[in-house]
Amino acid sequence: MSHSADEPAAGGGLLPRLGALRAALDEVDLPLELPGADAVRAEARALAGQLDDYVLPRLRSIEAPLLVVVGGSTGAGKSTLLNSLVRARVSASGVLRPTTRAPVLAHAPADAAWFTGPRVLPGLPRETGQPGSPGSPGSLALVASPAVPAGLALLDAPDIDSVVSANRELAAQLLAAADLWVFVTTAARYADAVPWSLLREASGRSAAVAVVLDRVPPEAQQEVAEHLAAMLRDEGLGDAPLFVIAEGGVHDGLLDEDAVAPVRGWLHELAGDAAARAAVVRRTLHGALAAYPERVGRLATGLAAQAAAGEALQAAAAEPYAAATDRVDAALEDGSLLRGEVLARWQEIVGTGELLRHLESRLGRVRDRVVAAVRGRPAPGEELTVALESGVEALVLAEADRAAEQAVAAWRAQPGGAQLLEAAGPGLGHASAQLRPAAQRTVREWQGGLLELVREEGAGRKATARVLSYGVNGAGLVVMVAVFASTGGLTGGELLVASGTSVVGQKLLEALLGDEAVRRLAAKARADLRSRLDSLLEGERERFTALVPEGLGERGATVAERLRGEAAAVARELRSAR
Amino acid sequence: MSGLLATRRRTRELPERLSALDAVVTAAEGRVRPELVDAARGVLEQAGQRMRLSPGSTVVALAGGTGSGKSSLFNALSGSALSTVGVRRPTTSDTHACVWPPADAGPLLDWLGVARRHVVPEAEADPALHGLVLLDLPDYDSTEARHRREAERLVGMVDILVWVVDPQKYADAALHERYLSRLRAHRAVTLLVLNQADLLTPDAVEACVADLHRLLKADGLGAAPVLALSARTGAGLPELRGVLSAAVAKRAAATERLSADVDAVVDRLAGELAEPADGQALGTVGRKERARLREALALAAGVPVIEDAVRRASLARTVAATGWPFTRWIGRLRRDPLRRLHLEAPAGRSSLPPPSPVARAGVYGAVRGVVDAASHGLPEPWARAVASAAQSSEADLDDALDSAVTSADLPDTRRVRLWERGVRLLQLALAAVALAGVAWLCALFVVAWAQLPDPPTPDVGPLALPTVLLLGGALLGLAVAGLSRVVGRAAARRAARRVGAELRRRVDDVADAHVLEPVKDELQRYVAAREALRRAG
Repeated sequence: MSHSADEPAAGGGLLPRLGALRAALDEVDLPLELPGADAVRAEARALAGQLDDYVLPRLRSIEAPLLVVVGGSTGAGKSTLLNSLVRARVSASGVLRPTTRAPVLAHAPADAAWFTGPRVLPGLPRETGQPGSPGSPGSLALVASPAVPAGLALLDAPDIDSVVSANRELAAQLLAAADLWVFVTTAARYADAVPWSLLREASGRSAAVAVVLDRVPPEAQQEVAEHLAAMLRDEGLGDAPLFVIAEGGVHDGLLDEDAVAPVRGWLHELAGDAAARAAVVRRTLHGALAAYPERVGRLATGLAAQAAAGEALQAAAAEPYAAATDRVDAALEDGSLLRGEVLARWQEIVGTGELLRHLESRLGRVRDRVVAAVRGRPAPGEELTVALESGVEALVLAEADRAAEQAVAAWRAQPGGAQLLEAAGPGLGHASAQLRPAAQRTVREWQGGLLELVREEGAGRKATARVLSYGVNGAGLVVMVAVFASTGGLTGGELLVASGTSVVGQKLLEALLGDEAVRRLAAKARADLRSRLDSLLEGERERFTALVPEGLGERGATVAERLRGEAAAVARELRSAR
Repeated sequence: MSGLLATRRRTRELPERLSALDAVVTAAEGRVRPELVDAARGVLEQAGQRMRLSPGSTVVALAGGTGSGKSSLFNALSGSALSTVGVRRPTTSDTHACVWPPADAGPLLDWLGVARRHVVPEAEADPALHGLVLLDLPDYDSTEARHRREAERLVGMVDILVWVVDPQKYADAALHERYLSRLRAHRAVTLLVLNQADLLTPDAVEACVADLHRLLKADGLGAAPVLALSARTGAGLPELRGVLSAAVAKRAAATERLSADVDAVVDRLAGELAEPADGQALGTVGRKERARLREALALAAGVPVIEDAVRRASLARTVAATGWPFTRWIGRLRRDPLRRLHLEAPAGRSSLPPPSPVARAGVYGAVRGVVDAASHGLPEPWARAVASAAQSSEADLDDALDSAVTSADLPDTRRVRLWERGVRLLQLALAAVALAGVAWLCALFVVAWAQLPDPPTPDVGPLALPTVLLLGGALLGLAVAGLSRVVGRAAARRAARRVGAELRRRVDDVADAHVLEPVKDELQRYVAAREALRRAG
């Protein structure tokens, strides 16, 4: 029952697919701190790690020796078992916990070439010589021993549950890279939760597992072994070989010969039978690959969640600013900006006859300046402009402030938003510092543009002599008032009734506002002002949208697509290889 | 070697600290993270209940992983075979209790939720352990999640924690990360026991204990005592009994444990109620922000509009009363500005224009300024509470401003003043004089036209008296009108100022009631919470 003829064919189609999957995994990026993002990142790392450490090397060299990883809880006796199997103290064992810091790989001298290079577990540097010392953590200590049969290698992993978290992570990595697990537990620990979660995982992956029950008091041997066997059957590991080693019988750090004989015998038998070895390799490899579609599916879901959260954040920031823009637009149209101070200034102009004088003579402006210099106050025309300016500016500033406050509150309630806010610092909840000068500049530019419009209009239409004779600035004032007063709530008449201007001024303004040209100019100018203010608020909103990592949606979607595609291709290859 | 219940000297007793913690909870509710408030409440409730139920007895729990030998130790200490010791794992699934006389521990064990109880007979009881209640907990690390939940529940309630570890499991992450490192505030009530010491050589035992000390120091429990013993052989048990009896004799274990609970929760709360990071004074609302708020609210309430209307109405009335009689009736054609605003209407809203967006923007900016100043240095959730206190709904503010304005007493502008009456009489007299002059001139004209002889007409200077009468009356009338207009303008301005001051006073009241008072309340609450936390620490 040799499958070696089939393996290269399977490897031929699988390898490039898995290589593509590995490349796609490098692009998995989850920048937002959503609940569960950490788990997805860990899964991506684990998947990539398993591909590098085990699946790709195994597929490339299907005939390489079996890697048997001896794993289990702290104090279970893994190192002692390894030493006993090899008949030499190659792995430090002791009383203090945890003991094993650096994993020890014992191999047959003939197999040295397979393991000294970075074929399996390429991330761990190799260390030779000095058997029995704890070894530097993070490296793989290689020991060549004649007691190890060719075709097999034994790896003593660190524990899976001590306080040293680096041990736990390394143990998980090594178990993911194993062709065969030899799980060591004791009579005291065989019902611990942590080992069982790993065994459940192994069962789920159909990995090849053998269980060694160590340190069993002789009187309890029967009962405990039966209980453990029942538990294994419940988890779907009923076909895993179970070996029992009694407590005591440790001399010079090595177990007695007859205690480990069953384990040794089984391992030697496995090493000698090429078909059995191939079956083990195939089973574990297949099991690992079969789990990929589901694991990759979880990654894709995580990426989709990131994209959705990014969009939600963008929408949450856009909403308050859209409302602010609407409010600003409405305020521009309903004439309310003309109340209060602006109206007082306008009334001064009209009530005292300033405007009349202004309109009658081109020198009116000069006269205004002289009068203003004498009186020590700015000309009412200027005061009106200033009042309008400051009104618009105050409005935009307050709306931007309010929108920023609401956007910050909305982001705080969104998943992933709180971290972005922390990164941005405290100033985000207010309008940005350069909004005030920008608003002032914008309004002044608009007023300049308005005067330009009036000039063009006057130059183009000789029939509107009135516009010409008002003087550009006077006409500009009129149009500015018209911008804020024409449609919506106020007509010219209402406007003046509310302020109680003189009869003369009322007639004048009605005449002016009734003019078609003025209305048209006002509409154009209003549209211009609105678009300028909208872009100011747009700039404010940019502060928020810039914080969300860009391209979460498309990039995440493409990567998820690739991942799913590659995983599906892998599954197809697997099925065809059967 | 016993450091158990080695209490540190505290400046305040437990009851005082508990009432201070209660004050903190009341003040900080809704303003710090809810999980902290819940934790503090839990501590208060537990303290209240524990102190009611035999406070002099000492509840000791044996906690540990499966297989560490808790049940064997329990049996050895209690001299019973109450706990099942077995090889199948996990073994203990329900908590067992052993009660030494004279503890009447029924209600206490009911509160702890322990159903299996064994009372040591008076005759066998070791008098040194009188008042001890010993619990054998289920494990915390087996596949049975139910055991872990039960163990964790009781670890949170008992007075003294005895962690039973063995040479295999003493470095398990479950023990150190899930329990010991989170109980560093409870080091005075923590004791570790290294069981199964008979499986190791004496040197190995020493090395293990030293290693365990090292791990405990990393957990923050460096002062906790470690005893090595073997429940099976009995080695080391007398020392353990000694430690326990010393603790029981003090009758202070419950107080110690609850104090440690308060310590832990106060530490967590202190993180939320910290000093401002940059050392500046806590938020205060300065004069500038207050002034800005009052101005903005006055603008939004339309105070300038009303002032202006009062001024113009007053002037119009003066002109109507004292103007030149022949032209002053024109002014009556115009509507009274004040009437137009409908300010006299008590119920219903006035016809004041609602605040323009600019005025609203001003109010928003001013309120935000107040909030920013007040919440300077406050932790974030509290700053948010200040903000929501200050930013009551805009409709409420609108209504309050409107009613403040309409309820103000405006001067009756239609009442004619005394001096105006006088001037009116004068104007009438002057008009009469002018009319007399006109009539005389007309009479002269009629006489001249009827070719009657000229009656004697007195001369004043170059002009005839009737002309003088006419011109004098008219010109003087105009002059009086002009003068009284000037005076009237000043009087109108004064009246407007008075009204303005009155209205602004009312608006200030609104500002205080709706914005400044709530903010001050929040700040005071914060200070009260900090003070109470200091008393609880």
